[in-house]
Amino acid sequence: MDLSLLSDPVFLLQNLIDGLSRGALYAVYAMGLTLIFGVLDIINLAHAATFMWCAITGWLVMAGLGLPLPAGLLAAMLAGACIALLLEYVAFRPLRREGSDRLSTMISSIGMSLIMVSIAEAVFGVETRRFPSSVLNPRPFHFGGLRISPAQILIVAASVVLMAALGYFIRRTRMGKAIRAIAANQKAARLLGIHVEAVIAVTFVTAGALAGAAGILVGLLTNNIVPDMGGQIQLRGLAVVILGGMGNMEGAVLGGLILGVIETFTIAYLPGGSDLKDAVVFLILFLILFVRPNGIMGRKSAERA
Amino acid sequence: MSGRRWLPWAVVLPIVGLDLFICVRNPGDLDRLLINMILALSAFVTLHAKLLSLANAGFMAIGAYASAIISIKLGLPIAVSIPAAVLLCAGVALVIGMPVLKLKDVYLAICTLGFGEMVRVLIILTPDLTGGSTGANLSTGFPYEAMKQTRTWMLGVLLALLAYLFWALSRSRIGRAFRALRENPQAASTMGIDIVAYRRFAFVLSAMIAGVAGAFYAHSVGSLDNGDFKFNRALDILSYAVLGGSGQWFGSILGGGFLTALPILLREVLGASVGFLKNFAQLPNIINGLALLLVVIFLPGGLASVFGAGRKRPGPAAAGPVRELPDPDKATAPSEAPLLVLEDVSRHFGGLEALGKVGFRMQEGLIYGLIGPNGAGKTTLINLVSGLFPPSSGRILWLGREIQQRPAHRIARAGIARTFQNIQLFREMTVLENVIVGRHTHIRTSLLSTLLRLPREGREERSARADALALLERLGLAELAGQRAGNLSYGDQRRVEIARALAMHPRLLLLDEPAAGMNEIETRKLGAFILELKKHGYTLLIVEHHMDLIMKICDEIVVLNFGRKIAQGTPAAVSRDEQVLEAYLGRD
Repeated sequence: MDLSLLSDPVFLLQNLIDGLSRGALYAVYAMGLTLIFGVLDIINLAHAATFMWCAITGWLVMAGLGLPLPAGLLAAMLAGACIALLLEYVAFRPLRREGSDRLSTMISSIGMSLIMVSIAEAVFGVETRRFPSSVLNPRPFHFGGLRISPAQILIVAASVVLMAALGYFIRRTRMGKAIRAIAANQKAARLLGIHVEAVIAVTFVTAGALAGAAGILVGLLTNNIVPDMGGQIQLRGLAVVILGGMGNMEGAVLGGLILGVIETFTIAYLPGGSDLKDAVVFLILFLILFVRPNGIMGRKSAERA
Repeated sequence: MSGRRWLPWAVVLPIVGLDLFICVRNPGDLDRLLINMILALSAFVTLHAKLLSLANAGFMAIGAYASAIISIKLGLPIAVSIPAAVLLCAGVALVIGMPVLKLKDVYLAICTLGFGEMVRVLIILTPDLTGGSTGANLSTGFPYEAMKQTRTWMLGVLLALLAYLFWALSRSRIGRAFRALRENPQAASTMGIDIVAYRRFAFVLSAMIAGVAGAFYAHSVGSLDNGDFKFNRALDILSYAVLGGSGQWFGSILGGGFLTALPILLREVLGASVGFLKNFAQLPNIINGLALLLVVIFLPGGLASVFGAGRKRPGPAAAGPVRELPDPDKATAPSEAPLLVLEDVSRHFGGLEALGKVGFRMQEGLIYGLIGPNGAGKTTLINLVSGLFPPSSGRILWLGREIQQRPAHRIARAGIARTFQNIQLFREMTVLENVIVGRHTHIRTSLLSTLLRLPREGREERSARADALALLERLGLAELAGQRAGNLSYGDQRRVEIARALAMHPRLLLLDEPAAGMNEIETRKLGAFILELKKHGYTLLIVEHHMDLIMKICDEIVVLNFGRKIAQGTPAAVSRDEQVLEAYLGRD
């Protein structure tokens, strides 16, 4: 460990900023994942593939059609919503009717993920694509010794807006109340006259749109759009969801920020940190599962959501 | 259905057969086919034990790299390096398994997924040993010719040995215990099956099989790259076993063969005319993905459920003469102490007190009734005594020894058996098999004698079967012995549960509402049967709402209300008790 770096407050602050903006991304991604788990008890392992397809859609719209960033973001969120809906109809709804367990939904989502990634590889090849630099000025702002890129500002702003919107949607709206009712007890919700299938569809649309936003934001930050980009975020998303407690929205946000900061600090302060960062993520994952199987903010599964 | 049983064979067999033909021309493909079939078995083991483990790719990597390092860097022959690598996998699985196997379904999947990636990270971080992220190269890695040491026939022999292992295991008490615990772990544990130990066994066995497959992979491919063991590899292996089905081992071999064969076949045969198939690198992944999706949705039992459908169930043997009931197994420590003592036993669920400071003692050879209104805590008490969960406070003494912290399977082995209020049979097994599971702890065959098929195993199996049949006969269920347990009527299922519990020859039998759903005649018969059990020296604790039954057969009755004991005494005394009348009828 390089001790001289520790005493450098600017370096520390810089890494904190980088870490938080990276963490905001993880949070947006993990919110969709945890929403599906909290409401439907499904680990959607195709969330990463959805995210990847959204980034590619955004790229097609911005680099292919030359449209500006808002259009790309909108298109990606729309694509995410459509893909998530497709997942619900193809992979999850048939299983819900037969009343099967968590493992079978997990396996069917794995199947969908394999198919989606393979199709992307077949159509787009494996080379890296980038958003055109015209969509967002890549030149960073300088404050004192700090370097903050427009992408980082956009990421933090967009995630705050998305989190607030999601919080309002789930807590304050009628549909949000229906979603929470289904999370608490699907059968009872059905008996009370809630159109369960429709509400579940809305839940998937919401989660898909979040994956879409995450896809664009990650594309802006890393400028690296490839069909296997989901693999990187897949495990991190799961780690965040577990860190925050499965199905817990606030937990996902907090967990995402924590993971982002830890990852950035690992790269900055540990020798060979960029090789170690994956190991650190998994180590955290293991530790949490063993110490607190329900996550930091997790409640007992019966009281979940 | 039966008319089209040939259909799946007609689809799968030609593909695997044609593929074998193609593979023979290209030995590399044949090796790959065999290795994938072995890998499929490794995923089958964990799936069969209801563990969704994604660690197979990680263990495969450990096996591959360990054997390569041992044979190349240390210069040892593969006869040493491969077994050493397999042992290493077993060791790692034991260590990892201790914490990981405590996790529930999805958490286990995520954690094992993380483990697989962790192995890759370790490979990348140790370039001197493994070649690191660039894979194997000549200076640091593994020279191709030195690596290529295995022959295809070795893989064939290995697969045959493994097939034998699974065949022998599936017919033994071990296989039966796995079938029981995958259907109903809770009921299995009350039959004396140590669920944790069985899951650990499955995890370690799976790791060893993945390890040996990895070791052979290393020595047949001749080079290694950490990219070979990415998450996708874990998914490939999983899809083989899922397609094969988690119920029958041979399904996985078929599944692995089919999914390896199909892309090769499509490429070789159709690729000639349909040009783009020739270079369609993603084809295997798409096929695997489709297999996972379609099988989970349309064929939850996998290929094995289709091919296994024609298999004969072990039918009931010729029913012998009606035999005497077995006596309770009293080999365990004869003692002066009372059979069972509860001292101030309490149990809370969250803030709710289900049972508060309940205490009573039971003498051997008597019938005890446990009554009280709904929600009085009767089933909670049965659950505490049978070890499904420990009391929040208080002591439970069995022959003078504290047992309140023991897990269910140890309590079962000590001589306490039970039935469930909400019937918990192994629904997919036959009635006879259900009862034989009750004999589990009494069959003492070792793994070794199972594998060598020593005569002792056959003898014990036959005697367990005869015992079980005699019990069924005694309970009037003999003609149902070959039926699937889930198909039986409610009352019959209750009787099968009693037979299953009696098969354990317990000293104490806990019956949770045995007469629920029975009509008057059946109830009367049950009462007579219970009295006969008493004559044979059994001790019983019966929860029941049929008051005439309870009053007629019990020697002593304990009354619970709102988790408290409100009365205890002979039937006559209890039925006159003010508090009891009030609890049941309310105050006039």
